[in-house]
Amino acid sequence: MKILIPLKQVPDSTVRVKVAPDGKQIATEGVTWSISPYDEYAIEMALERKDADPSTIVAVVTVGPARSRDALRQALAMGCDEASLILADEPVAPLAVARALAKIVAEAKPDLVLCGKQASDDDQGFVGPALAEALGWPHVATITKFVPQAGAAELWREVEGGHEVWKAALPALATVHKSEKEPRYPSLPGIMKAKKKEIPERAFGSLGIDATAPLLEVLSMEPPPARGGGKILKDGDAATTAQRLATLLRDEAKVL
Amino acid sequence: MKILVVAERKGAELRRVSLEAAARAKDLGAATVVEITGERYSPLAFTSALAKRVEADKADLVILGATLNGRDLGARLAARLGRAYAADVTSLETSGDHLEVTRPMYAGKVRARLRVPLPAVVTIRPGAVPLKATAAPAVEEIPADAAAEKLEFVKFAEVASSGKRVSLADARVVVSGGRGLRGPENWHLVEQLADALGGAVGASRAVTDAGWRPNEEQVGQTGKTVTPDLYVALGISGAIQHLAGMTSSKVIVAVNKDPDADIFKIADYGVVADVFEFVPAFTEAVRKVKAAS
Repeated sequence: MKILIPLKQVPDSTVRVKVAPDGKQIATEGVTWSISPYDEYAIEMALERKDADPSTIVAVVTVGPARSRDALRQALAMGCDEASLILADEPVAPLAVARALAKIVAEAKPDLVLCGKQASDDDQGFVGPALAEALGWPHVATITKFVPQAGAAELWREVEGGHEVWKAALPALATVHKSEKEPRYPSLPGIMKAKKKEIPERAFGSLGIDATAPLLEVLSMEPPPARGGGKILKDGDAATTAQRLATLLRDEAKVL
Repeated sequence: MKILVVAERKGAELRRVSLEAAARAKDLGAATVVEITGERYSPLAFTSALAKRVEADKADLVILGATLNGRDLGARLAARLGRAYAADVTSLETSGDHLEVTRPMYAGKVRARLRVPLPAVVTIRPGAVPLKATAAPAVEEIPADAAAEKLEFVKFAEVASSGKRVSLADARVVVSGGRGLRGPENWHLVEQLADALGGAVGASRAVTDAGWRPNEEQVGQTGKTVTPDLYVALGISGAIQHLAGMTSSKVIVAVNKDPDADIFKIADYGVVADVFEFVPAFTEAVRKVKAAS
C-alpha cells in the first residue's frame, strides 16, 4: 500500500505567535517551524501501518517556501520513505494548492491520501476536502483510525458519542484528527538516514496548473482580546470560598 | 444578496448554531434556510444535493455552522463551486461585492479580519452571534443525493461514557479536568460539578494522552475549541495548547493549588485551592444557588 501525506510547515504549537508591525501577518523572526500537528498525526497513522506491514510506502509532499524542506526532512526522520517539495515563495490560493497536489497524486498514484484535518496556521481545513474534490475521490473527514481491507479501507471517524465507520474503495482520501499513538520522535538512525535522502524539488509555476482561485485578503491581524485581571480567591475554608464563588458567578458574571 | 443557510439538527432539534446562522443571514439579506436530509452526513451525497440547490438559487453566500460536519461540507462545497471559503468566522459583514469576516488563526493565538470575495461559503462559529429569542426559522428540506454516494456506511461504534450529558460543541458550560485530578477514578468530581452546572465534561491533553478520558473530550489546540458562557478548569495548569482551545470562553473559572499556574493569568475567577477539597464544596454551593434562583 502507498500512502501520500500532503503536509504543511507552520509555527510550532509552543510558539507565542506575535503580529508583525504591519498588522497583516505574523512576525516570523525567531519562530520555530514544525510540521502542523494534525499532519504529524497523519504521518504517525501511516507509519503505524508501515510498522504492521513493512511493504507500505509512506510519502510526504508540501507546497511551500524553501524552509518547508526542514519539515519534509523531519517527516523522513520519523520514518517516511519519500519526500518532495513544490516550491512556492508566494502564498498560493487553497484551491490552487489542491490542484497542484492533485497533479502530484496523479503521478505518485497512492492508494490512500491522508491530510491533517487543518493546518494550524490558517486553521481553515480547506485543502483536504478540496484535494478530494479535485481528484473526484470520496473522502472521510477527521478520522482517528483506518483499517486496510482488500482494495478498500475502513475509516473510523470520531463523532459525538462514538465513531462512524465508513468503508471506502481505494484510492480514497481522509483527513486526520488524531492517531492512535502520539506522533513518534525521530530516532538517531532515522535522522542520519533522512540526511542522506534526496528531496526532489519543483517550482509551483512549472506544474502547469491553473493557479487562479479566490484568495482571502488579510485586512488586519491582532492578538485575541487580553484577559486577566481576574479575581483571585485564596483565603478562607473551602465551603466559604465555594459559596462566594457561586454567588459571584450568579450576581456579577451572571452565568448561573 | 441571496443567502442560503444550511441548518443541522441534533436529534429533533435544530442546533443552536443553525439558529444563530439563520439570525445573522436574515440581517444580511434574503435568506433561505435549508436542511439536507439523509440517514447521516456524508460529504459526496450532501455536497451534490447542496451544490445543485446553490446554483439553482444563484445564492451569493452559503452559511453553515462551524460544526464537525458543517466545516467538512462547507469546504467540499466551496471546492466544488470554485468559491472562496472562510471557516469558523466569529463575525460576518457584507461590504459591496465582498464580505468582511473575523476569524481566529494560529490556533486562536491571532484574530484576523479578512476580505472574502463573493460568491462565498462561510462556516460560523457556535456562540459567535448573540441570539435574541426569536421563533425558529422555516426550514426547507433537501434530500441528500444518494446517487452521488461512493462510501459505504459500516456501523456506528458507540462510546459508553458520554451518557446524556450535553456535547462539548453545544455546551454553554464546560467543566474540564486536568492532571491535578490525579487519575480517572476521581472524575466523578468533574462530572458532578458539570451536572450541577448543566454543562459538558472536557479534559486537558495530558489527561486524554494518559488515557484517563476519551480523546473526544480533549479541549485545546489538537482537540476541541470551545466558547461557552462559563468554562471551569479544574487542576489544569494552562499550557498554551490548552488555552488555545478555551480562551474565547465568556467567563473562565480556574481552580488550582499552584498560585503560579498559567491558567490564573486568563481566569476571571481564580481559586487557589486543592481541587479535592474545593470542588465538592463548590458543587454543593452551585446546587444551592441554582435552587434558590
